Amino acid sequence: MSLEPQELDDLTSKIGRKPTSTELQIVAAEWSEHCSYKSSKKHLKMLPMKGRLVISEKGYDSGVLDVGDGYVITAHIESHNHPSAVEPYGGAATGVGGVIRDILSAGTRPIAIFDGLRFGDIEKDLQARWLFKNAVTGIADYGNCLGIPTIGGEVEFDECYSNYALVDVAAIGFGKKKNLIKNHAKKGNIVVLLGGSTGRDGIGGSQFASDSLESENRSAVQIPDPFIEKLIIEAILEARDQHLINAMKDLGGGGLSCAVSETADALSIGIEMDVDKVHTRESDMSPEEIMVSESQERMLIVTTDEKLKKLQIICKKFRIACSVIGHVTTNNMMHVKKGKKTCANLPTDVVANAKLLDRPSKKPAYLETIEQEKKLKPVSDYSKMMLKFLASPNIASKIWVYGQYDHEVGIRTVVKPGKDASVLRLDNGKFLSAKIDGNPKHCYINPREGAIGCFEEACRNVVCTGAKPIGMLDHLQFGNPENPEIFWTFLESLKGLTDFAKYFEIPCVGGKVSLYNETPSGPIKPTPLIGILGLIEKTPISSQIISPGDSLMIIGDTKDEMGGSEYFEYIHKFIGGKCPVVNFKESKSNMNIVLELVKNELLKAAHDCSKGGLAVAISELCMTHKIGCKVSLDKVPGPKLDVDRVLFSESHSRYLLVFEKKNLKKLEDILKKDKISYSVLGKFGGENILFSKSSKPIIDLRVDKAQKTWFNSLRELVVHG
Amino acid sequence: MTTFDVHVIIENKPGISDPEGETILHDLVLKGNHSAVSKIKTAKMLKFTIKEKDKKSAKITVQKICDELRIYNPMVSKVTIDVFDA
Repeated sequence: MSLEPQELDDLTSKIGRKPTSTELQIVAAEWSEHCSYKSSKKHLKMLPMKGRLVISEKGYDSGVLDVGDGYVITAHIESHNHPSAVEPYGGAATGVGGVIRDILSAGTRPIAIFDGLRFGDIEKDLQARWLFKNAVTGIADYGNCLGIPTIGGEVEFDECYSNYALVDVAAIGFGKKKNLIKNHAKKGNIVVLLGGSTGRDGIGGSQFASDSLESENRSAVQIPDPFIEKLIIEAILEARDQHLINAMKDLGGGGLSCAVSETADALSIGIEMDVDKVHTRESDMSPEEIMVSESQERMLIVTTDEKLKKLQIICKKFRIACSVIGHVTTNNMMHVKKGKKTCANLPTDVVANAKLLDRPSKKPAYLETIEQEKKLKPVSDYSKMMLKFLASPNIASKIWVYGQYDHEVGIRTVVKPGKDASVLRLDNGKFLSAKIDGNPKHCYINPREGAIGCFEEACRNVVCTGAKPIGMLDHLQFGNPENPEIFWTFLESLKGLTDFAKYFEIPCVGGKVSLYNETPSGPIKPTPLIGILGLIEKTPISSQIISPGDSLMIIGDTKDEMGGSEYFEYIHKFIGGKCPVVNFKESKSNMNIVLELVKNELLKAAHDCSKGGLAVAISELCMTHKIGCKVSLDKVPGPKLDVDRVLFSESHSRYLLVFEKKNLKKLEDILKKDKISYSVLGKFGGENILFSKSSKPIIDLRVDKAQKTWFNSLRELVVHG
Repeated sequence: MTTFDVHVIIENKPGISDPEGETILHDLVLKGNHSAVSKIKTAKMLKFTIKEKDKKSAKITVQKICDELRIYNPMVSKVTIDVFDA
């Protein structure tokens, strides 16, 4: 690993001498895109980060939100794309470990994990299937061993991820506001490294994540050890309760180099440390290797001499190693020694703050023509097509995935995975709803509108549980930022997210940027991922049985927005057309109205209408509740469209509502007051999902047959090919 | 054609951690007072029985099977193949 020539010049002029080899390695790790955000940092400032409920403190790795009654939740999102692409089991598992330690370092207990997974076309590509299978097992094994429920996420397959993997992990923490770690340090405090031993694994990981993935450059592999992680969690929380921690930081990308320089820089202190004091796995490691090793399950803690004894007792009790590696100074220098010999002595602000770049951007050429549609072959039998569609990997039930995760451990999970969003019970009587969403197919066609769409979809999902969105996490995943066309797509997505966040007053509480996501056949599609946290003050919408005679209503217009739809891409193998656009005003009133209806207990169920359009969303309701439905497509609000467009358009801001017929009047009173576009589409009952237009049947499927196909097809594909 | 026993040992590459081996060392062996032991590594062994014309081709065939079916991950694992007369 190395610095660019101009970066080396920059470093030399800043420190006024030639850097030593250890210094070079430390700076190369910290100035990598992965750690320094040098391409994105200038632009990320546009996102609104403040809000009524946001608590910000220096040096936090996760976002903190006040949920009232003296409690806080913390949230963070990370990805482990490069490591997972070469070793899916370990890569995905250590990704979970990393994000959990970010939650822990604020002083809160991790209570839930989410994961967003993206792979190539698993129907044809055996490598993609192998990656998928092992990444899921890695997450399941790690999360299940820790006793933290994995309560949601999403899985998507697209050819743009061939021979690659996007593994995004988000975690949520919960704790008392008074227990939050207020990071501080002063001269003479001591610096402790706690947890797993430092070995040669993952050396150069952050640099590796900042390069495009080439076949020969596949060296960084990290081995997960969830049992040490569990011990670290319990030891840290006990140390927190005894007030033994002055400041804390998780060791992630860049290892000790980043943790030490960033802690020192954030707290305006210096740190002097000795690599000989670090507990290592092998005896012959060089200072450079120790400083940049990305061995997992380690935490850096700043404490005092008096507290150290107590901390050591806790570590001994949990049988985890802890070594005093250095102490705090006031000279703002990061001083790394080996015994008496100085290996590196650098100003922390130089190390922790790479020169930020102004990368050029240019609208990609492909966007000029992407919205043009081509003539598609008409579908002769929609029932047959629909069955195939329900079995397709992106539409099919993801039970094979979340069925492997323990999603109930901790007994907080009141709404389980498989619904719009999962819901957790909090200790103050409130509930937390959370969801992550992405849509690279839309974002490829229109990076701005696509990103806004992901944001809105995640909001819709939590709104369907009766939760008001209170915070957002963004994870921006793109190709090589040195390519102006790719950088343009990054900026457009970011601007879109910023506009939406400001309009809806949803602060961004955390995020991550992952660039250089390139495969041998080119860059991935723009893949921003949005996580939404929603708060339910009283009770979430409870799962009720849908009975024959119950009514189905849709809120929101269905528009001619087929670009990036599953229907175009999976059925017609066509990438193009206009992607759905969110109308902010409409979006806000629809969101508020659904929340009001849930609050007034007028609904039996609410379901968001997204991937696969109306046809899939209604079928999902029928299949999960095992009941038929007669739907009249003539009544769908919006412009007059061809039947396939009504069925499969993925227009945003649409909700399906199920209610008892007797409540119609009450519902209409509320809807009319706010001039909401709505329509009663049909009635539940019978054994068939029936879509008709002008009294002519279009789709007619037996619920049990459709359910079996939808429920089992992903498992069949993975297990039996 | 002769029948051979082919043993395939799959272990983590040197330098990559092995939590299982470390746990057995620290929490079992060293606790039992066997301080002469300094390292334990875990591995997985597959025993193939195969008909081939000679030892060399038996080894090549088994190696090929393991590579093709992704029985191990070349990024993580070190593989040792030994051939014996059955």
